Amino acid sequence: QSLAISGVVTAKSDGSPLAGVTINDVTNSSTVIANAEGKFTINAHIGDLLKVTYIGFETQEITIKENTTSLQIILQDGQNSLNEVVVTALNISKEKKTLGYSVQGLKAKDIAEAKETNLVNALTGKIAGVNVTSSQGDMGSSRIVIRGETSIAGDNQPLFVVDGIPVDNSQLLGNAGSRDFANAIADINAEDIESLTVLKGPNAAALYGSRAAHGVILIKTKTGKGAKGFGVTINSNTSFSNLLGLPKYQNEFGQGSDGKFSYVDGKGGGVNDGVDESWGPPLDGRLIPQFNSNGVAVPFIAHPDNVRSFFKTGVAVNNGVSLAGSGDKYDFRLGYNNLHQTGVIPNSEQGKNSFILNATYKLTPKLTLSTVANYIKDDASHIPGSGGKRSTSTMLEFTWFGRQVDVTQLKNYLDANGNTFNWNNSYYSNPYWLAYQNTVGQTKNRFIGNIELNYKIIDGLSANFRTGTDYYNDRRKIRIAYGTNGTPFGSYEEDGYDVSETNTEGRLQYTKKLNSDFSVDALLGGNIRVNSYEENDQKAPKLAVSGLYTLSNSRDPLISSNVYSKYKVYSYFASGQVGFRDYAFLNVTARNDWSSTLPKANLSYFYPSVNGSLILSQALDIKSDVLSYLKIRGGWSKVGNDTQPYKLLNTYDFTAPFGTNPQQSANSTDLNPNLKPETTTSAEAGLEINFFDDRIRLDASVYNTNSINQILSVNVSQTTGYTQKLINGGTINNKGLEIVLGLTPVKLKDFKWDINVNYSRNHSKVVSLDPEGRLQSYLLGSDGTVQVLAAVGKPYGSIYGTTFERNANGQLIISADGTPAVNPTNQYLGKYTPDWLGSISNSFTYKGINLSVLIDAHVRGSIYSGTNATGTYTGILASTLPGRGAANGGLTYTTGTTVNHDGMIFDGVNADGSKNTTVISAQSYYKALTNADAPFVYNATYIKLREIKLGYTIPQQWAKAIGFQAASIAAVGRNLLIIHKNAPNIDPETAFNTGNGQGLEDLTLPTVRNIGFNINLKF
Amino acid sequence: CKKELVDINKNPNATQNPQPDYLLTAAIKNTADTYWGTANNMDASLLFVQYWAKIQYTDPDRYIYSNTSFQDLWGIGYSKSIVNLNKIISLADAQANPNYKGVALVLRSWVFTLLTDQYGDIPYKQATNIEQYLTPAYDKQRDVYFALLDDLKAAEADLDPKGKAIAGDLIYGASANNITQWKKFANSLRLRIALRISDREPDKARQVLADVQTEGSGYINSNADIAELVYLDSPNQNPISNLFDTRDDYRISKTIVDKLVELKDPRLPIYASPTKDATPQTYVGIPNGLLVGDASNLGFTKTSKPGVYFLAPHAPAVIISYAEVLFDQAEAVARGLITGNAADLYNQAVTASLNQYGITESTTVNTYLAQASVKYDASNYKKSIGNQKWIALFGQGLEAFAEWRRLDYPQLTPAVAGTLNGKIPVRFIYPGTEQSLNGASYKAAITDQGPDLLTTKLWFDVN
Repeated sequence: QSLAISGVVTAKSDGSPLAGVTINDVTNSSTVIANAEGKFTINAHIGDLLKVTYIGFETQEITIKENTTSLQIILQDGQNSLNEVVVTALNISKEKKTLGYSVQGLKAKDIAEAKETNLVNALTGKIAGVNVTSSQGDMGSSRIVIRGETSIAGDNQPLFVVDGIPVDNSQLLGNAGSRDFANAIADINAEDIESLTVLKGPNAAALYGSRAAHGVILIKTKTGKGAKGFGVTINSNTSFSNLLGLPKYQNEFGQGSDGKFSYVDGKGGGVNDGVDESWGPPLDGRLIPQFNSNGVAVPFIAHPDNVRSFFKTGVAVNNGVSLAGSGDKYDFRLGYNNLHQTGVIPNSEQGKNSFILNATYKLTPKLTLSTVANYIKDDASHIPGSGGKRSTSTMLEFTWFGRQVDVTQLKNYLDANGNTFNWNNSYYSNPYWLAYQNTVGQTKNRFIGNIELNYKIIDGLSANFRTGTDYYNDRRKIRIAYGTNGTPFGSYEEDGYDVSETNTEGRLQYTKKLNSDFSVDALLGGNIRVNSYEENDQKAPKLAVSGLYTLSNSRDPLISSNVYSKYKVYSYFASGQVGFRDYAFLNVTARNDWSSTLPKANLSYFYPSVNGSLILSQALDIKSDVLSYLKIRGGWSKVGNDTQPYKLLNTYDFTAPFGTNPQQSANSTDLNPNLKPETTTSAEAGLEINFFDDRIRLDASVYNTNSINQILSVNVSQTTGYTQKLINGGTINNKGLEIVLGLTPVKLKDFKWDINVNYSRNHSKVVSLDPEGRLQSYLLGSDGTVQVLAAVGKPYGSIYGTTFERNANGQLIISADGTPAVNPTNQYLGKYTPDWLGSISNSFTYKGINLSVLIDAHVRGSIYSGTNATGTYTGILASTLPGRGAANGGLTYTTGTTVNHDGMIFDGVNADGSKNTTVISAQSYYKALTNADAPFVYNATYIKLREIKLGYTIPQQWAKAIGFQAASIAAVGRNLLIIHKNAPNIDPETAFNTGNGQGLEDLTLPTVRNIGFNINLKF
Repeated sequence: CKKELVDINKNPNATQNPQPDYLLTAAIKNTADTYWGTANNMDASLLFVQYWAKIQYTDPDRYIYSNTSFQDLWGIGYSKSIVNLNKIISLADAQANPNYKGVALVLRSWVFTLLTDQYGDIPYKQATNIEQYLTPAYDKQRDVYFALLDDLKAAEADLDPKGKAIAGDLIYGASANNITQWKKFANSLRLRIALRISDREPDKARQVLADVQTEGSGYINSNADIAELVYLDSPNQNPISNLFDTRDDYRISKTIVDKLVELKDPRLPIYASPTKDATPQTYVGIPNGLLVGDASNLGFTKTSKPGVYFLAPHAPAVIISYAEVLFDQAEAVARGLITGNAADLYNQAVTASLNQYGITESTTVNTYLAQASVKYDASNYKKSIGNQKWIALFGQGLEAFAEWRRLDYPQLTPAVAGTLNGKIPVRFIYPGTEQSLNGASYKAAITDQGPDLLTTKLWFDVN
């Protein structure tokens, strides 16, 4: 006997109706969905079992009784291992238990409250196996790598997918030189994110093809689903940033050399006044003419805060409003967010406006149209300079510095005659001049959008068509002012980029429970991807007149260049899942790509994957108070990869003509007409085991990834006529272990304590570079004589540099001049990749109050520090004090008739084996120390107090009383403290950019700490 | 769809078809910029032979270098010059224009000479043939010089003044008889190399010079034939001019100023600029290799920059001068390699050098030549030729460095605060990239030649 049963589903937490809940009559396989008011009607029989499921809520089972006519279903918030749903490849939601690979995610709140201007930073320490390196200052880029570097030469960062559409995360460094432009994913507004899921290895990502070999980060934006009528949310976040640390400077000696200094013109006219080092007289108040004293001798004294006082507090203000609504046929969310940020460097500033519309409309009961449109406008008036370039860099000037200089005296960077005014005129411009005159502006317009049609053909079979695009243009205006030291005529450059990717995809999906034992879920689809890239750079290399920044205001012919590239990939893909009794699942995927970038014979390539999961606790029907859940999983996958456009045939490039003679030269890379696709295979096994009603949750994974046939633009000896050669070679192996441990030590009615621990280690080994074994190393990056290599037999990212010669007993060998001899051959000094990464997060919830503390650790690995090397050479660091003068333990010696007290002796032996007794000045001693790289390579270990977050959600009834549906406030501190580190004077978590040449620090901007406040109000 | 995909991948940014004239322009320009530029000239050889000295950032002047310091000549030499010159040679064969081939061979030989003169053993036979040799082996310096002599002989034969014209020639392009001039350039290089090996292989040197004599095209025989690149305005300005636009790191060396003053040499006002602040001596050089403070304390305005002739945007980068060729011939006579009058050739050489700088007034020239300190000393030809050739080669750091090593004159005192235990560098160290990218070949070269140090003597440098 069939009964028409009506019901309503509400949430236990706030009693609000839940739209979109699935009510499945398991007995006779029929399903209905609750409407916007949480209401539904279903025809069922007495004795039928109804299963009520909804993402983020515990599943409830209800048996229809004789007298059932209506149902009041109250769902408990929260997930457990059996009902947790995750977003997987192609934006398809799946129950996590069915997956044979590791998936970890973040929720909206985690991302939005701890607001980072670079989204990537929000992942730091929160996901096992994910290594995030934020660069410098408070506006730069961040690099993210999952499970180690699997590509020797290519981009090792994961693919980002927003609402099913791959989006660009490249970092276009361009010609601005030493500007750390943010990586492109930083455009995404944290407030719009509903969930973020990390698919870690190629196992998880076989369906995305090529680019997923390094993992995938899936972002789902918020929708209006579940909103009752219209709802308005206002979010406001203000955060302040200041320097986390500066090098430890010495304050005993000022500018100069050999203890002498006297200022006349700052470029050698006085005594050592062109010298940009601090080997000058003691800062004891003696009277010396200085840069700001007009020739008058004034006290020579320390200004211990002279570097710090240049920096200011950065302020980022984020205000957003969103409107969400839903009805029977539609739902939508419209959001607007404005960010305005001023950085720690004076005059640095950036802003962002973003608009997003996410809407769904049911055209007919079977046909649904949905769309997401996200428009982002970035506007930066000045992006600060980073590494060591003299026309832009702040830290370069402060590392080559006179410790007596009072920076506050430099704020007026022009003197009475309109000339630049600085402490040194032989090499530098005033740092404020750099900040206010040599600006780099950036404007960027970005559109990310898609349209999707979903048609339910018959029950269980649906067709889906989606087309989406990610397009941006990026315009940069790079000014070097007239009169800048080293560029007397200044320069002006405009760079423009147009980057786009369009994906058009169709697929058929079939989901069916065949009988009480088996279910199938199958998918077949095709995709066309088109990428295009265009760059156009114009530069007036020398300005004709000062202060006018146009391309026509040029003394010399303009320097112009442009690049255009296009790239297309056709793909077919299929996936299938067979489930047995809801506890055993087998998944297979297959994909074939046809890429325009490969030669005709090799442009088609196929790759499959297989994985399975078995929920042993259910299969074996283990019902125990101790063991609550046990799942084992495993899988194998292969991912093919193509290359960049135009990598097949050698070309000859034109450069600007010499007079009327055009110039043409062979491109410095020898290309390869016989490229084959590269292949990554990965095997993964995992275990998920929960105890005591999920109060202890352990998820462990091991993996082994081999990447072969890598397409490498290897550096080759220039004696070959080329600097690089494109080869198919290169094998790299990555093995690793990831453990995610969740604990809930206390769970009371009003109080809950959660602990989350992530641990991961990855070991990489470069097995070979070319099939013939002729190449032994691939250059990833360099700084002076320090090279970061992928060297055969060594871990990826090995650091090589010069060392001092030592005898068999390990003693330094000292030359006749009293300084250690340098071994001219570069030696292995370490690797930049960490041995392991770990984090622990403690979260306490008491009623509406939530406190969480995240500490993360990056253990071992090495970093070469240019700040330490340069600062030792220039004598600005406190570490250069020992031996400088009798008070600092200096030895007494005489040169000619002068008696000196700054003598030092290198501890080592002479060529004949006798002990070295040659006394040299401290200045010579520390400078000689910088002749080798090894003394400046440090253990990169750090432990950071990454995040403290205190949030309060106002109880519903109170919020309602003051006219809100919900209200919450939060205070968040990020990067608060370096609890432990081994490298002096720098934050070992630092980088120039997001490339593979990491492990090098060279006068980068100090890292910052952030403290922010967040208010979220719903009407 | 395959055809569509292949079409999409056609590169719209560059051509696969080079032109010999365009390649030639680029090869000459790139090589000259490096030859005359910072790393090899201003920050190395001009300091070693004490033409220039540093007044700021004095590390190079104190012989403090790393294995990246000498990357430029190596990198540009092989991957910008030689590879493109080889392409010209293959295009010349395809287009049946042997004049391109001859010109490219002459230039390539010059580049190889620069390389082996500074580093010693270098890849020659296996160089710039990437499909076959990814890690080219190094050839012994002797073998390189011998091979270059063969190449130049072939080039001289290929060059035909009646043959097809060439374009893109920045060295002799303006001249109607440019191919004839290239033949003289080729022979002058053969003369240079013959002398370079003359301490080791006098018979080979004698043979080469006899061949040139027989072939009959002769050497560079006027200042109008000087092989040089004359620069244009910015951005194609002389690299030294470009550097002095923004930097003030160099002064003329005290060593050469003192010598020119001693000889009352009329080239002094051309080689050196007067001090900015008036000084009693007008021209003040600074000693090489002072500590940073000691150098700048001499005063930026009280010491002399190089002369405006060398700082001008259009200043030439001289590859081989008429004066050099005459000095070479004088020495060849003195060594008995050819017949002639050494003293006469020596006087002509000094005269040619003075003329090169516009000093043509005969009394000035004769007065100079008549000085006892200038006169040719047949009993010590190395001293006379060494000292005067050193003065004549001013600016051509790399050639002067090679000749100073070979002739051992002038006798230079090492840098004041030099770091080589009282020695002056006698070679460049190989770039560090060779260690990481061509390690086995590099190690074999070190085994053959000696440690990769600035003080390891090369094969040609006998004493």
